[in-house]
Amino acid sequence: MTAKKNRLQSIGAKARAVPLFWWWVAFLLIPITFGLVSGLWVFYKGLGVTNLTDGAPWGLWIVLDLSCIGLAAGAFSLSAMTYLLGRKEYQPLARIAVFIGLLGYSGALMCLILDIGRPDRFWHGWVYWNIHSMLWEVTMCITLYFSVLALEVFPMVVELPLFNRFKRLQHFGHSVHHFAPVLAVIGMCLSLLHQSSLGGTYGVVVGRASLFRATMPLLFIVSAVASGMAFSVHMTLIVQWLKKRTLVPLSVLFEVGQMAGAILLVYLYMRFWDTTVGNYGYSPGRTEAFTSLMSGSFAISFWSWEIILGGLLAAYLLIRARQAQSVAMLLIGSGLTMGGLVANRLHTTLLAFTEPLTESPAVTSPLVSHYFPAWTEIGTGIGIVAGLTLIFSLGMRYLPAYQGEPVEIPEEAVAPTVSAVPVPAGD
Amino acid sequence: MSTPTRTREMTRREFILLAAGMGISLFGADRLYKWFVAHEDPLGEAAHSEINKNGPYWAMVIDLQTCIGCRRCVYACQATNDTANGHLWNILLEDEDTFAKPVFITRPCMHCEHAPCVEVCPVQATFHREDGLVAMDYDRCIGCRYCMVACPYGVRVFNWEENDGENPQVPTWGEPEVPRRPRGVVEKCTFCAHRLDKAEERGLIPGKDPAATPACCVICPTEARVFGDLRDPSSPASLKLAGRQSVVLRSDLGTNPRVFYLLPNEQA
Repeated sequence: MTAKKNRLQSIGAKARAVPLFWWWVAFLLIPITFGLVSGLWVFYKGLGVTNLTDGAPWGLWIVLDLSCIGLAAGAFSLSAMTYLLGRKEYQPLARIAVFIGLLGYSGALMCLILDIGRPDRFWHGWVYWNIHSMLWEVTMCITLYFSVLALEVFPMVVELPLFNRFKRLQHFGHSVHHFAPVLAVIGMCLSLLHQSSLGGTYGVVVGRASLFRATMPLLFIVSAVASGMAFSVHMTLIVQWLKKRTLVPLSVLFEVGQMAGAILLVYLYMRFWDTTVGNYGYSPGRTEAFTSLMSGSFAISFWSWEIILGGLLAAYLLIRARQAQSVAMLLIGSGLTMGGLVANRLHTTLLAFTEPLTESPAVTSPLVSHYFPAWTEIGTGIGIVAGLTLIFSLGMRYLPAYQGEPVEIPEEAVAPTVSAVPVPAGD
Repeated sequence: MSTPTRTREMTRREFILLAAGMGISLFGADRLYKWFVAHEDPLGEAAHSEINKNGPYWAMVIDLQTCIGCRRCVYACQATNDTANGHLWNILLEDEDTFAKPVFITRPCMHCEHAPCVEVCPVQATFHREDGLVAMDYDRCIGCRYCMVACPYGVRVFNWEENDGENPQVPTWGEPEVPRRPRGVVEKCTFCAHRLDKAEERGLIPGKDPAATPACCVICPTEARVFGDLRDPSSPASLKLAGRQSVVLRSDLGTNPRVFYLLPNEQA
């Protein structure tokens, strides 16, 4: 028995002469190259190489941007819980969430740079203010919050042995770390502002009936908090499984998952009444749009991804997982929540541009656009996601803050109890 | 049990109070009239508008009764403003009235008073000029296209590619009068602001003199589309509006456009 085990181990060691991790990095470099090529092509040729039109001026990049920011919401909500509500046991999870947040906002900024027609004028938002514009508010908040996240991640990066030669940088990192609660407050304020303003960006569009809803900011922020927290849990579980180390105690993951599930239920409740009340009777444009969402061309994707899988089932799994002490339920539930958020942002965006603008006093105009992303948009989208995954993988592998406890979860325990995982006594 | 009756002269104090009260009520009624009733009537609204109070109130009037759908305004606009194919500032929509009779609606920019595009632009690249027209600053626009999402009329077009092709409407329908816009910015109908701005200097009156009037209105063969100052009762726009029933597109949105359509079902 032991001999067999030893032999297996030695085979494993030989097979890992080139560690699996580097195969993973090499695999990621393929889509990253593809993304770089298509990104440069977009910058060189302009937005004419996309499938965006005057009728559907926003597309895949905006969906990706909204999804990245939504999924990054775990950073502010978990930081706020750690530093403002004093739940110190959440700190390891908040650290991972902050790293995910930084990557999410980097992705969002990359999408926006690709999406604007004049990338050379990206700085105009900071210089020429239009304080009435939701998008201006979002621009300011995103860039400011990106700096806050960078400051929060900075102390963890300078802990790398690479920076041992730069003692002053490390000292600066330590002093920044002392201001973590302050950063959490600033981050929470900025996030509460722009997560809802992203919904507001759509909500103020008076001419597009399916978007023009006062509930949009609320729906956006509540769904972002639920899936942001779930996404942090999801990624932590995957990292722990791959590293065979405990970064965050399972009890914390179960607790946060349950919270995310509860918030998701609140969101579904709000969404139910928003849709029901909004569709009571006929309002031009809006009724047509919601009909195509619920029983038209969007119906299958809407009901399956947004409501059943990404909504009800996800909430059930997240809430039930803690009681059942089932890691699988937590993993699937949090993954589905993430899918639900992406589906929601996708449907909201596409629906807005396929509904007709009523041009004539009597007749709805033929301005119904069709949109499917071009290879340039898909290529850059995949490239951005792969790039973020690569940086996430590298960070989880090398950053000292994410090394966790060298404890293997006993294999015989299908549902490990809290006591099986020693809680770190402190640094 | 008779109720005591009291008759006496009105005191000076009471008289002044009563007079002041009546005066204030009359003033309030006048204001209310201007707010609610005057909005039904474009000429009255223009007269009372706070925009560009001492100058003209530009407006375009499009008569759906006489428009024959010849597209000359579309071509003249493309030639004068040198827009790319498929990215027209002024388009023709074909509709039917309730008796299945064809109705042609040409649609320039509405130059709304409460323009959604102006409100949403993150960098104030689109703005209200002094005279209330909605203009674009092509040097400031970052090309985020939020204004295109926000415009309820779909009048805005984006320069997806460099506009370096030939303009098919030149020279048949006019000569380009403004430079082409660079790739990556949004553009839209300007009411031929370059003509309006030169009018005073050249001693011309917009709406009456062709060289100071938007190209689409100059070329219209049936005079279905006229331009002018609604504060001047003798301008073509005022004359055309007077006594006719007019509508604006999507009045439910409260954008308060400057383009008025005269309904087609009136028997002339």
